[in-house]
Amino acid sequence: MKLFTKLATATALTMGLSTSAMAQVELEWWDFLAGGDGVRMKALIDEFNAEHPDIQISGTTLEWGLPFYTKVRTATAVGQGPDIMTYHLSRLPLALEEDVLTPITDAEMGAAGLSKSDFFEASITAASTDDGQLMAVPFDIHAVVAYYNKTALEGTEWLGEDGNLTGIDSIEDMTALLQWAKAEGFSDPLSFQSEGGGGTWRMFYTLLRQQGGEMITDGEVLAGDNMDKAVKAIQILADWRAEGLIPEQAAYEASVALFSGQKAVMHINGVWEVPTFKDSAADGSLGFDWFANEVPQMLDQPATWADSHAFAIPNNPNMTEEEREAALTVIGWMQQHSMAWADAGHIPAYKPTVDSDEYAALEPNATYASLAENAAFDPRSKIAGVASPVYDAVDNLIAPAIHGFLSAEDAAAQMKDQLQGLMN
Amino acid sequence: MTAKRARNFAFSGIVLIAACIWIFPLYWALTTSLRSENRIVSDGAGWLIDELNFSAYAQVLSNSKLPVWYLNSVGTSLIITVIVLVTGMMCAYALSQLRFPGRQTLYLLVVASFMVPVPALYVAQFVLMNDLGLVNTWWGIILPQLIVPVVVIVYKQFFDAIPREMREAVLLDGGGEFTLLFKLYVPLNWGITAALGIITFISAWNNFFWPFLVSTSEGMMTIPVGITQVNDSFGVAYARMMALALLAAAPVIIGYLIFQKRVTEAVMISAGVKG
Amino acid sequence: MPPVHPLDRPEREAEMSHSNRRNRELRAAALLVAPFVFVFAVFFLYPTYKVVALSFTDAPLIGEGTWVGLENYAKLLGDRLFYTSLWNNFYFVLLTVIPTTVIALMIALSVSKLKGRMQALVLTLFFLPYVLPVSVVTMIWAWMLDFQFGILQPLIAAVTGKAVPVFKNPHWVMPMIAVVTVWWTNGFNVLLLIAGLRNIPEDLYEAAALDGATPWQRFWRVTWPLLWPIISLVLTLQLILQLKLFDQVYLLSNGGPFNQSYVVLMQMYREAFQLNHGGYASAIAMVLFLVIVIVSVLQFQLLRIGGRK
Repeated sequence: MKLFTKLATATALTMGLSTSAMAQVELEWWDFLAGGDGVRMKALIDEFNAEHPDIQISGTTLEWGLPFYTKVRTATAVGQGPDIMTYHLSRLPLALEEDVLTPITDAEMGAAGLSKSDFFEASITAASTDDGQLMAVPFDIHAVVAYYNKTALEGTEWLGEDGNLTGIDSIEDMTALLQWAKAEGFSDPLSFQSEGGGGTWRMFYTLLRQQGGEMITDGEVLAGDNMDKAVKAIQILADWRAEGLIPEQAAYEASVALFSGQKAVMHINGVWEVPTFKDSAADGSLGFDWFANEVPQMLDQPATWADSHAFAIPNNPNMTEEEREAALTVIGWMQQHSMAWADAGHIPAYKPTVDSDEYAALEPNATYASLAENAAFDPRSKIAGVASPVYDAVDNLIAPAIHGFLSAEDAAAQMKDQLQGLMN
Repeated sequence: MTAKRARNFAFSGIVLIAACIWIFPLYWALTTSLRSENRIVSDGAGWLIDELNFSAYAQVLSNSKLPVWYLNSVGTSLIITVIVLVTGMMCAYALSQLRFPGRQTLYLLVVASFMVPVPALYVAQFVLMNDLGLVNTWWGIILPQLIVPVVVIVYKQFFDAIPREMREAVLLDGGGEFTLLFKLYVPLNWGITAALGIITFISAWNNFFWPFLVSTSEGMMTIPVGITQVNDSFGVAYARMMALALLAAAPVIIGYLIFQKRVTEAVMISAGVKG
Repeated sequence: MPPVHPLDRPEREAEMSHSNRRNRELRAAALLVAPFVFVFAVFFLYPTYKVVALSFTDAPLIGEGTWVGLENYAKLLGDRLFYTSLWNNFYFVLLTVIPTTVIALMIALSVSKLKGRMQALVLTLFFLPYVLPVSVVTMIWAWMLDFQFGILQPLIAAVTGKAVPVFKNPHWVMPMIAVVTVWWTNGFNVLLLIAGLRNIPEDLYEAAALDGATPWQRFWRVTWPLLWPIISLVLTLQLILQLKLFDQVYLLSNGGPFNQSYVVLMQMYREAFQLNHGGYASAIAMVLFLVIVIVSVLQFQLLRIGGRK
């Protein structure tokens, strides 16, 4: 009996090895998804692996931003890149410049069970070259939102009957709210990553775009009155900082901790932190009620910074046909399971998910769904996007100006100078 | 006499307190790692270990690739140590005991290479590793770290000090140079081998810059690289960061506490100062 | 057992065996040095040559470049960031080399006065940070100095009146990286100095004490001159080590704020691996190379003079 089983297993193994259909494809996957995002994505990967005995994803999460994109660039250059990775669409122009991505054909989309028309048009445009060649498959649209401490705002003029923010229609209104919170003992009433980096850029860009301002118009950085609008955006933040209404030099993690530690009454950050607060409210460790709304319109028009995560297949001459097919299978599968991703706060780029009833009932997504219409994407340029020269300018000029090391005017002027120099 | 003893006692006390302050960062990392995340950021934290919450350790161990990084660190560091010692002792023996053309030049090159800042070569070494197809492999991590001139120099000094009579005796017994080296010179200097081994191992284990450049995927990273480049944490993660740091440091800390005396000797010998 | 005396053999045989022995020695030497020489040539000498060669080209990190002569060096002369980096390297040397030596000397003198177990314990505590990986060191210090939640912030506030985000403040960043570095590497220096102190014969102190020398005089007349070779060794090793600063800066401040902690290796890394300028990065590396060679030769000379005095 024992011998027979052994024989049977051996035969099965031999046959399995000889037929390529049974061969397992191992896919190297890279992402930069920390936070609650990371947890959700790992769960998705595990689920995929369990469902697909023939494809195994082995995932790596690298440090977000510059470290990630440096590794991608270096690894791709030496042919050691992953088989599939997440990529920010704001960075697509830089990706084209660095030549790290491979085009994805319509036929390949079809093989993955997808078509361009399944996606929001804006995200497809953002994922394509100027002449329309798709270079990545969009996965979501993510924006900054305003998280707030509902418990603390209870009974104040800023919390409506429905539990949403209300009455914040100008910078002055916001300032009044923050001053009130400061008096209530919140040491840093509005927290965001104020040290520079992504958090500062998102805040600045939101304020710039709420004035109708543009970073780049016709190849010119901060042209015309965009300059004044940039100055004003920086000045608003600098004034808040001078009054102690926003934290001094808060690192990303600290900015989140300030809110969960009840030192901030409001927290402006990406939707990707939704799971963090969801999870800690669920296990009872948060200690207050929270919710998230679209960032209030405080200036001339509604606008909220936004970006997209997408899947991309890096340039790799050694990639086999099989691996590429497997990577496309993964991309298709992920889109069909993007409801779980929506649970991480994001708005899926895949329309069938967004149109589902399940999505319509998902909170707080449904409440801030309106922001999709006001999404302000980074300018499409090789100087912009995650870990781009614009980010350097944020660290070296905008953040220092917010903290009073130089004037808003100087910061904006120097930024224009530096970035314009890189445009040509 | 008693006054002097009291003074000595007080002096010892002060030095001990200073040493405890010196090591406080490690203590504080331990304290933090044993607390719950939300407590760390909400209460004003106390200075004492007042909570034994191992959830940060559990999460780090189950979520990170720490075991793989350990393996990479141990594997590459061991291979580096063995190759550096064996090639170093052979070369040092030849330099010390044999006459051959180019001997002076070789020795001068080895001594002069002391002055070269190795990181200045990293761009070229990276290009070389790429040409050899070794980026993101153990050998890619290992090969450029094999240049440890101090090993040759220290071995040579100690081999020089061995009396020639012992050598003649073995030679006349029909032993060759390899017999001499491995049966006589090395066994006479086991202490040096252990010391140089420890020093080489520690510096390979702790090297950050080169493995950081050459390991592109998570599965190839060594501990110092992995804990900074890979981010598996989420939300408020100070306890987890400290748990990760301490787990990463645990092997060297334990190793040092066990082999303390040898490590101390090793440092002194490697700098050419005999204790 | 007495060996057979070579003179017992006939003359001719001895001559032959001499040339045989010579050949055997050469062969053995070749075999013995071959592995080291191979590794040394391929992974050290060749890259050294390659960096020099690359610095005269416009090569990207991976791929061929064309010869551009001294263009990279000319560009370097006009690169403000490079001057900032170079200056920061020297500033860092200033902040670390002498302070760490002084601190190590004080610790070594104290520890060497202790006895037995106490000495072992104290030495262990002072040496322990040296065996830690750099990233562990920076993670712990970044947490201790965290602007919002760091345990050291109340201390900083007590001195300066308010908390300081040290790695985000242009005035604090380099000194704090220096503090972290000294904490991390100091144990090594302490050990060397203790070894040096142990080598000073006890009777010299006794003789000095009999002459009625105060502890202060004993230090300057006995300890200092006899310890000078070790002190100068520590200074030299530290100087070369600290010029190679990269890890701590990359991990703690990433060169910021406003490039106030940018150093030469950081710029080399950025040019090569982030901006894909292999040639220019090599030129930067060459400058560091030259600086370290010049400085070590100079310091060697200076220390020799200091020692003679």
